[in-house]
Amino acid sequence: MNGSNGKKLSIVSSLLIALSAVLIVVSLFFPWWRMIFWAPQYPEGLNIIVYPNRLEGQIDIVNGLNHYIGMDNFSEANFPELGYLKYIVGGLAALTFITALLRKKAVLYGLIGVFIAGGLAGVYDLHRALHDYGTNLSPKAPIKIDPFVPPIIGHNTVANFVTSSLLGPGTYLVIVAFILLLIPLWKDRKAK
Amino acid sequence: MKKWIPITAGLLAGFVAATITFADFSAKTNTEAASSTKSDAEKVYVPFGQKDDYYLFASGGHSGQMFIYGVPSMRKIRTIPVFSQDSATGYGFDEHSKKMMGDYTWGDLHHPAFSETKGDYDGKYMFATDVGNSRAAVVDLKTFTTKDIIKVPNTAGPHCAAFVTENTEYMFLPTRFAVPLGQKYESLDNYSKEYRGVMSAVTFDEKNTKLNIAYQVALPPWSYDLSDAGKKSSADWAVMTTYNTEEATTNLEINASQADRDYIVLFNWKELAKMVKDGKYEDVGGQKMIFPEKQKGGIYLVPVAKSPHGVDVTPDGKQFIASGKLAPTMTVFSFEKAFKAVENKDFAGERNGIPILDYKSVMEREVNPENALGPLHTQFDEKGMAYTTMFISSEIVKWDPKTGETLDRVPVQYSPGHSVAAEGDTVAPDGKWLVALNKIAKDSYLSVGPSHPESMQLIDISGKMKVIQSAPVDPEPHYAQMIKADKIKTINVYPKDEKNKDAVYKKDDARIVRDGNEVHVYGIAMRSKFIFDAKAKRPDVIEVNQGDHVYIHLTDIDFDEDITHGFAINSYNLNMEVQPGQTNTMEFIADKAGTYPIYCTNFCSALHQEMNGYFLVKPKN
Repeated sequence: MNGSNGKKLSIVSSLLIALSAVLIVVSLFFPWWRMIFWAPQYPEGLNIIVYPNRLEGQIDIVNGLNHYIGMDNFSEANFPELGYLKYIVGGLAALTFITALLRKKAVLYGLIGVFIAGGLAGVYDLHRALHDYGTNLSPKAPIKIDPFVPPIIGHNTVANFVTSSLLGPGTYLVIVAFILLLIPLWKDRKAK
Repeated sequence: MKKWIPITAGLLAGFVAATITFADFSAKTNTEAASSTKSDAEKVYVPFGQKDDYYLFASGGHSGQMFIYGVPSMRKIRTIPVFSQDSATGYGFDEHSKKMMGDYTWGDLHHPAFSETKGDYDGKYMFATDVGNSRAAVVDLKTFTTKDIIKVPNTAGPHCAAFVTENTEYMFLPTRFAVPLGQKYESLDNYSKEYRGVMSAVTFDEKNTKLNIAYQVALPPWSYDLSDAGKKSSADWAVMTTYNTEEATTNLEINASQADRDYIVLFNWKELAKMVKDGKYEDVGGQKMIFPEKQKGGIYLVPVAKSPHGVDVTPDGKQFIASGKLAPTMTVFSFEKAFKAVENKDFAGERNGIPILDYKSVMEREVNPENALGPLHTQFDEKGMAYTTMFISSEIVKWDPKTGETLDRVPVQYSPGHSVAAEGDTVAPDGKWLVALNKIAKDSYLSVGPSHPESMQLIDISGKMKVIQSAPVDPEPHYAQMIKADKIKTINVYPKDEKNKDAVYKKDDARIVRDGNEVHVYGIAMRSKFIFDAKAKRPDVIEVNQGDHVYIHLTDIDFDEDITHGFAINSYNLNMEVQPGQTNTMEFIADKAGTYPIYCTNFCSALHQEMNGYFLVKPKN
């Protein structure tokens, strides 16, 4: 099917990879992660919504409340990642698109490797941030609580607040994009 | 084709997961009124988490305030200070409200009126008048706060107000007391010649939230009691009742009740506006004053059974109904007939230079339900049926304005002045509920001594009228307006106003600026601290010299619903509030030397008790 070069990916696979590149670009416009805070007096919930390039939600209110337990402020300034993440993601999309053009299985393996590394780095970075915020509590805080690390996905309880962390549509798009990269490996498996 | 399956499946899985995570599936519920299977208790019970269907805006009378209730629960939600000081909200203490109130400390808030669009409440503003000190006010319904107050010259006690025209072009303020122009001294012997019952046409400048007087009309020295604007085909007209056309100057109880007939004043406000535009007015102390005996046109008198109280226009705008008060009669008049009489100059003489329309040519029917005494005021339901309060026989009578037939009656406890039906004075009343505003509560509630609160009784008018709830209310609900709750769109926090030079939105920008003996504090309040000077050793301390002129500009930088802060200076008799996002100013002379704690008066957080500072006034040598 692929003529002289047995490792050349099919046109369909190439299109899938191109679609993957598109999804990655689209993901930049959606939140990647968010945390919702509920308390008896906040039944509607307060949000921290993380986009690749900015924070949204009721950040000031969350910060105002967090100062009682001595937590640092969430702010875009405290997350240098927000300054360059969009370039990394854009670069990843570009690499993916180049892979679609080259149609080389080896390159695709390499790209998948980059994806996995990037994903792990992202998870580590988020975990590190959550760990820092939850454990570096000011000793002068009016309300003393035990240090804590909120999960990347799932619930946590701090004082009167229950938090719920979830992945955003952006992350789901990237996961779909990743799956699209795996499909050619399966589809073109006989080409080996 | 099979190769597409995993792709599609993968995409679908992603979107399903996203949908489940982010979509809001919770259904909205609300309490719809009066299903016939409900018991009385169930009809008024609004469980926690649900809201009332209607807002009730009750005039607070000589408390100078307005009271907001929910219907059908009859729970009181809020007090809006309008004409009187209110330390709970700092009203009359902060700069804006102090300036609005002038030197007055109280008012007598009578008849509230919503702004209207096409004859229906639009839920944007509420107007009210002050009989005590002759003022008018506008309340913004985005924040439920008073935005402007205007003092009305040449007039004393605009009881016969407020009513607004179909699209809030004008709010008219006819007066209860006649006084000489300029309210200057004049012997009561010259009452008929020198006194006037001046009516003011007030416009509302929505852009600048300002009330202005467009023109005034020097009506005869009678008492003008109640009024209503026309609707639809009668939209350019308005009606108001009069008493004391006897022009009595003492013992009015007797002397103003002698003539068998008083008048309804019928006027065309568009014509009056045109007269003013054409220069047909005189300048009286800067006001454009129309003298009806000189600048003729646009104003007519309709004879009516003596000393009427209310006059109310039917929802279709075709009739107006006068309630007799001292004559046990509701008189139904036809606008169409009145217009014809005006056109044909079908006059029965004139009074004080104003033509009198022939009673028979305008009157449609006199309605006199058996033993119903003291009719005061009429509201309407969705079918156009009339509900009239009977002050003396303590009841509400439901009747048909088209036939005069009495349909239903229900006793109330006791002596209802006005009543209010759901949107009951608009072009499209809702029916469902009517609240009787009773002047005497007496034995209705636990005794609090010789004087009692007034009472508001909720009447289900969806079927046979029935009183199903009773709520005490502070003096004095003269009238109320009931509006569908979803018409009112409040804000949660004040938006940032970067143009406001008194506002400070960043903690680090808090500062104290001194210019001679004038000290401006640009401070912030937040949970749970004040910062007046971000760079000071103690940012929550204000230090001034005795005699300094102090301005405290305070911004609540908690942009979080209901996180209101207070600001009080102990022993300085000062308190104000800042609502979320709001900037408020307090101005005073630091005339007392000493040490005065500053604290937050509006409970804001777990550390509210720690939210304080000091105001230090260094003595003059």
